[in-house]
Amino acid sequence: MTDVSTNGYKSGSNLERVLAAGHFAVTGELGPPKSHDADVIRRKTQMLKGYVDAANITDNQTAIVRMSSIAAGAILVQEGLEPVIQMTCRDRNRLAMQSDLLGAAALGIKNVLCLTGDHQSFGNHPTAKNVHDLDSLQLVRMVKDLRDESKFQCGEEIKGGGPGFFIGAAANPFGDPFEWRPYRLAKKVAAGADFIQTQLIYDIPRFKEFMKRVVDMGLHEKVAILAGVGPLKSSGMARYMRDKVPGMIVADEYVDRMVAAVAGIPKEDKAARRDAWRAEGIKICIEQIQQLMEIEGVAGVHIMAIEWEAAIQPIVEGAGLLPRPEVNGR
Amino acid sequence: MAKEESSKETHWEPQIVAFCCRHCAYAAADLAGGLRLAYPPSVKVFELPCTGRLDVLHVLRTFEDGADGVMVAG
Amino acid sequence: MIVAEQKPLAEIKAMLAGYQKVLVVGCGTCVTVCFAGGEKEVGILASALRMATRLDGNGIDLDETTVQRQCEWEYIDPLADRLEDYDALLSLGCGVGVQTLAERFPSKRVLPGLNTSFMGLPTEQGVWEERCQACGNCILDMTGGICPIARCSKQLLNGPCGGSQNGECEINPEIPCAWQLIWERMSALGLLEQLMEVQPPKDWSTSRDGGPRRIIRDDLRLPEDYRDT
Repeated sequence: MTDVSTNGYKSGSNLERVLAAGHFAVTGELGPPKSHDADVIRRKTQMLKGYVDAANITDNQTAIVRMSSIAAGAILVQEGLEPVIQMTCRDRNRLAMQSDLLGAAALGIKNVLCLTGDHQSFGNHPTAKNVHDLDSLQLVRMVKDLRDESKFQCGEEIKGGGPGFFIGAAANPFGDPFEWRPYRLAKKVAAGADFIQTQLIYDIPRFKEFMKRVVDMGLHEKVAILAGVGPLKSSGMARYMRDKVPGMIVADEYVDRMVAAVAGIPKEDKAARRDAWRAEGIKICIEQIQQLMEIEGVAGVHIMAIEWEAAIQPIVEGAGLLPRPEVNGR
Repeated sequence: MAKEESSKETHWEPQIVAFCCRHCAYAAADLAGGLRLAYPPSVKVFELPCTGRLDVLHVLRTFEDGADGVMVAG
Repeated sequence: MIVAEQKPLAEIKAMLAGYQKVLVVGCGTCVTVCFAGGEKEVGILASALRMATRLDGNGIDLDETTVQRQCEWEYIDPLADRLEDYDALLSLGCGVGVQTLAERFPSKRVLPGLNTSFMGLPTEQGVWEERCQACGNCILDMTGGICPIARCSKQLLNGPCGGSQNGECEINPEIPCAWQLIWERMSALGLLEQLMEVQPPKDWSTSRDGGPRRIIRDDLRLPEDYRDT
């Protein structure tokens, strides 16, 4: 039944169509507010609309309570920007996940990114109970079975057919054990992932090494890999990400460039320093995208401008990725 | 405790229990006795075969029974 | 073994407020071995409580006893004759011990002196680590004898999350990443292939999620007429 309604596509989402047509895809990230203010979502939507093929809505990112990704995603649908809702295994069991997925589909959401989720100890409710009924791979498989088998996880049939999602998963090329990472990706593909969005890349040689393994294993032909990038905001942020964020590698080169960007600007002139940092952050990001486009197996980029959605436009524009393609086929 | 508190105003002397190793500190106390050196009667010496024999429980019980201080010498 | 830790003295003292005569009951099994609730800890805690409550001006009369295993009727039954004089029992057993006492002596107030922490082992003197979550459906054959349910912070069954770095778990560098350990062990055993299979969702019904668990062994059970409990 999905074939009829989606014209041969798995979901018919814009992201799927752009990738299927062979275009270099661009996705961005949109963080929902720590409030019920729908206007924040609408404002951020305007910053991304026309510059990305779809926008990820984070799901209680870093275990901090924010507006639900599905609710925010529904607002994006209304506003005409395609959402990729993120779903973590931390907060929900398989019942809640499936019911939320049915609801998301009913609200017109077509892409879902399946994640493990940051541990709650990082967030603003560190005393919470975590769930992890499923892991991210099992979530991928469950979403695939909903779509392709019209079956709930328990095996029961979904009357009238299951929701057709374009299924995403994450990959961290920089986590350890490093040799295991391509295999973990292979498992996600085997579980049913259609696209992959990677962790932020600030070490291109290491990412190339990872991609070489991925291409050797033929995984790039089975799944669309979107390389994760994000503009650095300051030398402090670059250092913090290099030294403190688990599973993240930041090449010294970028830290040095961010430091150099404010050389000669007095510390007191905060506005000038901020502008200089931001300009350099955007410049580095554009260069990275251009380098990533040259790597075999990279099908697109995922731009994570955390709480800086306004950076998306200059980055996409600077990387020569505008206008975004219109692919019909609905 | 209350007893010590009241006598404190006039002349309060802490009651000390000294846990001493037979081979050094206790022998020294013995020698002090032999040399007729005086030490205050508020110090009660308790011989141990070795201070390694001392247990948390010994110290707690000593305090519980009214000592104001415990000295471990070895 | 079951590993436990003593509750803070202030918390125990608050729990005992209002009781005049209390029996502190230790356990000679797991909590003795992990230095939390054996005969010695009973002595130390009782002594500390006697002094602390005396200083507060409401000295509690505490007696001490330790049974070989607080989680079996036959070991705690002999206490029955001694309990009349006591207002409360302070158990230094694990949560099972506390409940066994409470179930056997329902007219007595039974209070916990320990926090039962986990099932684990001493990895070095003075260090205990969790090893088992009693999920009721062992998968150690698939993971090289290292349990991701107990030792991965997210209970992942299909490999490490993105937060694993330098062998450390993202939540705490003191915690080794279970999946790094599994990877290394399976690699050394030449069994990496086994990790490539996608493990389906776990059946948690055998775990606590399925409700309180019970095992009945008919081969061991006494005939109905002979059962005493």
